[in-house]
Amino acid sequence: MSLRTALPEVVPRPTQDRERRIRTRRRMRAADLLVALSWSSVAMAVSLYLAGGGLARVTDLASGITAAGIVTGLVGTDLILVMLVLAARIPLIDRVVGQDTAMAFHRRLGKPALYLLLAHGLLLTIGYSLADGVNVVAETVALFQGEDMALAYLALGLLVTVVVSSLVAVRRRFPYEVWHLIHLLSYVAVLVALPHQLSAGGVLADGSVQQVYWLGLYVLAFGSIALFRFVLPTVRSARHGIRVAAVEPIAAGVVSLHLTGRHLDRLQTQGGQYAIWRFWTGATWWHAHPISFSAMPTSTSARITVRALGQGSSALGRVRPGTRVSIEGPYGIFTHSHRTQARVAVVAAGIGITPVRSLLEHADLQPGEATVLLRATDPSQSYLWEEIGSLPGMRGNSIYTVLGPRPSGLATWLSAEALGRGVTLTSAFPDLLDSDLYVCGPQAWTDLVIRDARAAGLPEVQIHVERFDW
Amino acid sequence: MRRRAIGLSILSSAAVLAVGWQLGSGTQPLSSSVSQATDAAVPGTVTPAAPTTGAATPPATSAPAASASGTFTGASAQTRFGAVQVQIVVADGTVTDVVALQLTDEDQKSVSISNRAEPVLRQQVLAAQSANVQGVSGATYTTDGYLTSLQSALDQAGL
Repeated sequence: MSLRTALPEVVPRPTQDRERRIRTRRRMRAADLLVALSWSSVAMAVSLYLAGGGLARVTDLASGITAAGIVTGLVGTDLILVMLVLAARIPLIDRVVGQDTAMAFHRRLGKPALYLLLAHGLLLTIGYSLADGVNVVAETVALFQGEDMALAYLALGLLVTVVVSSLVAVRRRFPYEVWHLIHLLSYVAVLVALPHQLSAGGVLADGSVQQVYWLGLYVLAFGSIALFRFVLPTVRSARHGIRVAAVEPIAAGVVSLHLTGRHLDRLQTQGGQYAIWRFWTGATWWHAHPISFSAMPTSTSARITVRALGQGSSALGRVRPGTRVSIEGPYGIFTHSHRTQARVAVVAAGIGITPVRSLLEHADLQPGEATVLLRATDPSQSYLWEEIGSLPGMRGNSIYTVLGPRPSGLATWLSAEALGRGVTLTSAFPDLLDSDLYVCGPQAWTDLVIRDARAAGLPEVQIHVERFDW
Repeated sequence: MRRRAIGLSILSSAAVLAVGWQLGSGTQPLSSSVSQATDAAVPGTVTPAAPTTGAATPPATSAPAASASGTFTGASAQTRFGAVQVQIVVADGTVTDVVALQLTDEDQKSVSISNRAEPVLRQQVLAAQSANVQGVSGATYTTDGYLTSLQSALDQAGL
């Protein structure tokens, strides 16, 4: 561990502090509003039923079960539409909570939504069979013959497939692309479920306000998917005409891809952000890679750095200069503009250095404002470390390096050697509680850093981390 | 901050639910709204002495005609699952039979519900001698349409 420079006093910058406070407050407010909006949409789904005078029709067990079946269907579908919105990569949502947080919510909603929709089918079948005085099988046969009902059963089947394929245990058995293809079936499922909602459901009757609202939800969900996941990336890729200029191996299995393009500054990339890249060669076009910018783009050039992890990313080292590249993004809130405090603490390990490199380049740092801790098991993994030291903004700021293997049998993010010297998160960052902590590295390692940060009492809003695992 | 998000969510959800509840309980029972729609949709079919007031209210208040006899066809009541129309047979002021001319039949499901509900409704009406009956649960639309059409037939018969 080496201390490169002494810690000078940070000169207070009241304007920046104030701007940061205002920005943070706005972002928090927006995040809270988004959460409230999501839950209100669930309440709205129940309200659609109530507003139709649904409760007055509940007179006995059969009608009670039927009512529960209708409400679970409305709420379950609403949750699925919320999930689509969360997955649509809407810029506002990315800016406010980050796409990874949005996707964490998306994942958490999956199972509840499926259970609600299964309950919807089950409860209505039971409710109707009680009312009709026939058994459940006969009722199911009768239901299946109803208008648009075959499509509804198809939708349910597709949803079961999608959710089962997303269970961690099952997901691991497939390549990402296969899983993703299965996942796209959920769009089909939500669409083919629509006809029976309108024709068989009493709540969404033709010409009712309820129906208008419901169709509005569908338009919002599918519209944002179409716009932000397909139209915008296509337009962007065509406009910027990005191509690979050079492939620079920087260590074993790690390459920097130098890209050229038109008006790349108009992407308004912030340091620390990533984009989802697709390289149009025969071997790589089917795989989109989330890769961080390892330097701030200029108007004509950009640089991304990637380590060969999966099958697809190892092929990236072999793409030729001139290869056409399409871009989705930039995304991410691992950025300077999401700071809340006067100081910056950065911990990076391995290839996690890439967003840190562009973050520190872009951040308007003054001497003493930032402290950086770089971690690698051995010197061969010290990617881009020398670049960090020579960034203009790092002048007068400390860089610690922690090399060496971790001790076996101990859950720690530090090396055995550093641990032996009594190094902790708070000894490396004495001003941790007045800092924003940016952590980037392998997932399990990152979790250990965050564990220590929380133990030290660092509020969540000051912890910046972006997860790329799927 | 999280707490504020939870608080906001609870407040706004409660507000949305309250409005939904209010709207739901504020609307008149479904049968009367159906009957109004019927009057508008099929003008001239019925010439009610008094405005059709729906199933929930006692039978019409027009002049008693104890000796009314004959067959009276009610107005066709539109429901979400198809039209419903009934005919009553009256002998000396007593309803002796109710014939369903048309029942909710939009789909398989509606047909099966109608077939189940119709005999029950007929029995209830013959026993009560009015449209003021309990109806059949699980066959709400059929019941509403049936009783609406029945009321207009009763009105014609002056019962």
